[in-house]
Amino acid sequence: MSYGYAGKIARVNLSTNEVTVMETARYEEFGGGYGMGAAIFWDLAVAPGEWDLKDPFDPRHVLPIMVGPLAGTGVPGAGRTSICGISPETFPTCEFWRGNFGGRFGTMMKLAGWDGVVVEGKADRPVWINIVNDAVRIESAADLWGRDTWETQDRIASMVGGRARFGEEWMQLEDTYTTGRPQILCIGPVGEARSRLAALITGSGVSARIGGFGAVFGAKNLKAVSVLGSGTVRMADAKAVMDARIWQMTGGGLVTGSFAPASAGSGSCNPCLRADRRRNVYHAGETMCVDQHWLANPEKQALGGAQSAQAASEAELASEALMKYGASGWSAHFLGLFVSDIPGAPDFFDKKVPVETGIGWYIRYLHRIGELGPGKRIDSAPLPMEQWGELSFRLAFLDAISKRVGIGDALAEGCMRAAEKWGRLEQDLESGALRFPAWGATGHWTLPSAEWAYNYLLGAGDPSWHGLVTAVGKPRGKTTEEALVELAKKMTPYADDIFMFNYAWKGEEAWKTGLYSPHKAKEVAWSRHYASFWNESMAFCEMFLPNLETISPEIEMKYYTAVTGKKDTFADTMRVGQKIWTLERAIRVMHGRNRKAEVFAPFMYRPGASGMTFWGGVPIYENGKWRHDEAPDMYLDRKGVEDFKTHYYQLEGWDRDNGWPTRRTLEGYGLKRVADVMAERGKLGA
Amino acid sequence: MAESENAGTQGKVPRRKFLVGGGAALAAGAFAAQIPGPAVAAAQPAAGKVSYPASTGYIVYDSRLCWGCQSCMFNCSMAHYGEANPSLSRIQIIRDAPSFTKYPLDVVMSPCRQCVAPLCVQNCPTGAAHIDTGHGNVRVIDEEKCIGCKRCLQMCPQNPRRTVWNPYKKKSTKCDLCIDTPFWSREGGPDGDPACVTGCPAKALKLVRETPPQEDVAGYDVNLVPPRPKMPFGKPPTPAAKKPASKS
Repeated sequence: MSYGYAGKIARVNLSTNEVTVMETARYEEFGGGYGMGAAIFWDLAVAPGEWDLKDPFDPRHVLPIMVGPLAGTGVPGAGRTSICGISPETFPTCEFWRGNFGGRFGTMMKLAGWDGVVVEGKADRPVWINIVNDAVRIESAADLWGRDTWETQDRIASMVGGRARFGEEWMQLEDTYTTGRPQILCIGPVGEARSRLAALITGSGVSARIGGFGAVFGAKNLKAVSVLGSGTVRMADAKAVMDARIWQMTGGGLVTGSFAPASAGSGSCNPCLRADRRRNVYHAGETMCVDQHWLANPEKQALGGAQSAQAASEAELASEALMKYGASGWSAHFLGLFVSDIPGAPDFFDKKVPVETGIGWYIRYLHRIGELGPGKRIDSAPLPMEQWGELSFRLAFLDAISKRVGIGDALAEGCMRAAEKWGRLEQDLESGALRFPAWGATGHWTLPSAEWAYNYLLGAGDPSWHGLVTAVGKPRGKTTEEALVELAKKMTPYADDIFMFNYAWKGEEAWKTGLYSPHKAKEVAWSRHYASFWNESMAFCEMFLPNLETISPEIEMKYYTAVTGKKDTFADTMRVGQKIWTLERAIRVMHGRNRKAEVFAPFMYRPGASGMTFWGGVPIYENGKWRHDEAPDMYLDRKGVEDFKTHYYQLEGWDRDNGWPTRRTLEGYGLKRVADVMAERGKLGA
Repeated sequence: MAESENAGTQGKVPRRKFLVGGGAALAAGAFAAQIPGPAVAAAQPAAGKVSYPASTGYIVYDSRLCWGCQSCMFNCSMAHYGEANPSLSRIQIIRDAPSFTKYPLDVVMSPCRQCVAPLCVQNCPTGAAHIDTGHGNVRVIDEEKCIGCKRCLQMCPQNPRRTVWNPYKKKSTKCDLCIDTPFWSREGGPDGDPACVTGCPAKALKLVRETPPQEDVAGYDVNLVPPRPKMPFGKPPTPAAKKPASKS
């Protein structure tokens, strides 16, 4: 068994009540976390060919919940847990997608001696999975179904802990002891209702918010997975891990351009653990970076006004309710933290629109234009529209979607499906009122962060990856060109091509070196390969690493080498990232993905597509010179996007016509078994 | 399901409360040694009572600053054993106890106190738990001499206990201020850099030479807020918040 890995994965079949053990070694070539999860999904869900992969609520759905080798080793920010499968959230089709979450679940999984748990089948009654070190049991959740996520976790902790008094004594597990509480991943009423807005919750405020995987738990009658461990994670060189940590904390890693403090905590994933716990809505240092959008007091705070103490208090209670119901604060948010002056914006909110939009905002929009309300064409009952944005409204919203009453039934299906039901989908995607760039994913960054936008398209929704957002920002103390030359050195294996950072979006330069050029394809590919390995499989929080202005990729390699003892170079890890990304592509292809399906929502091709940017905008090369520009007027060209796709497919070794990986590409990664299945089903790239 | 270590005390006076006021009575009843009182008394012991030279190093903490990240626990087990195992850590940071409690009771910090009157030392039948006079009088356990009787686990007056069971070696262990750390690049000990303190990103731990007040469990929970902190996020914490009651 290699260092860093627990060595085994629990496979739990809820239909047959069987628990079997899979060897981690079989999947180690995929790194860990998501990479392993995707490979397991291929082996158990795709390769057998017994399921068309269309319905996420099908009992044959296989849900790998995986951690990486760096989890539970003291490496900061690397304890995240990945979940992947067919996402109920994406639109128009339920696509293969993934999410991940922080908190302490991943670390505890490793301490219990597991690299993950794979859930398949469907229980015939509500159940929860109870993991205590080596023991894995399927328990009845009859007393838990219907309860909120906090109550559920409390009850499970009591059941696992027996008479132990948490915080006051050690709990004995055979001959070992722990002061830890079980870490529990669970759903609330929103997940039980199979709402596509359902998140998975662990702790008080940590959520897997992307993908709607809480609804898959609900469909499987799975209320929770609890894990408690008192074991050891072995590593190659503990001294080197701690040395790297201190290097990061005290000099080598003076992080200046990122969200994340260099000195992140290690027992959990969260580099964003706040230095002052009192400022947290949640307890024990937990904070939700993105779900705080739910906190925003619309029209006052988010649009620049001050938030009163009462409003802040109400927002806190609303956020607590969100977590207890188990809804995705991202999908359901009312207003993002950022608003922007956007040409062509809907004519309200002072012509500003939120850069990030969710279903709460969309309700408001429809109400303002007279489409939605009491007795209107779209009947808003039971929502108290006059209280929109207030605590009472948000509680009514959560209650309505979890019970699927009145408008709640449509809203529980998510923004896109609700809009389709109400006959507004096309016009609102055209105008940008529905600011969802591709695959129905809740809007986040669009443009001018072009690599982010392309990642929506090539993936299945919000990439939620900030690795280049700050790195390409306006530099201090050096010219744009000087900064980009330095940055390009880190772009292994596409190093030294500074034009990959060119965001020129119109005119000849856009095709020559800008958004629609082969250079941009390299930047997008690098971001996916890096994220696939380092963020999703080694499970570093993406807000933490990469930090390309300073310590990346040196710090990643220090930790990786010290824990695993592997001799891989950074280029080797990027190659594994590309392999994972290619396997992900293969799964999508088997599901139906092709070139034709990869198109942006119409608003991305017209003025208004661009939102705000930070750090002085993006670098643009025109007329032989580099400059930084916030590019508020940026939008995409349809032919340009098609040209970009051609360059991109070629770079990845996918065929031009369909975007399907070729046999040569797959076998180059040792994925012959994948190529054989694709060929057999007529899906192999020519 | 797990077992409560103190299952036999259920329904009786909570161990924490009992020991804060009555540690001496319990120890005397359990083992023959006489127990000195709090720190002041220990410094000038009454005739006939056992006394020990005070440690020259103590780890104090600020429970308001702690992030609950458990870096100290990982560092402790890694420095001593080369493996990550919070159950082997000689400092315990407990979160969510009781469940979903908000600040300031959401995190409990539990480092070894290097007690002036160390019941682990006093009650060890083999002398494995002893005062390391060569290293600043730190209270340590000699693994070679430990017979795994778990007496020191039972006698530690703190909740949770600060003495730690090593199930792999079947021996007890405790905080040695990193005197014996084969996997730690720095020198430990009362004049050195313990791994937990050095690796704390929140600066919520500190090694001090002065003996903290021994009277109650909060004596080690001190204000460590730096004068002018530079925090990546938001406003820095201030020392004005009420300290958690009776948390050690």
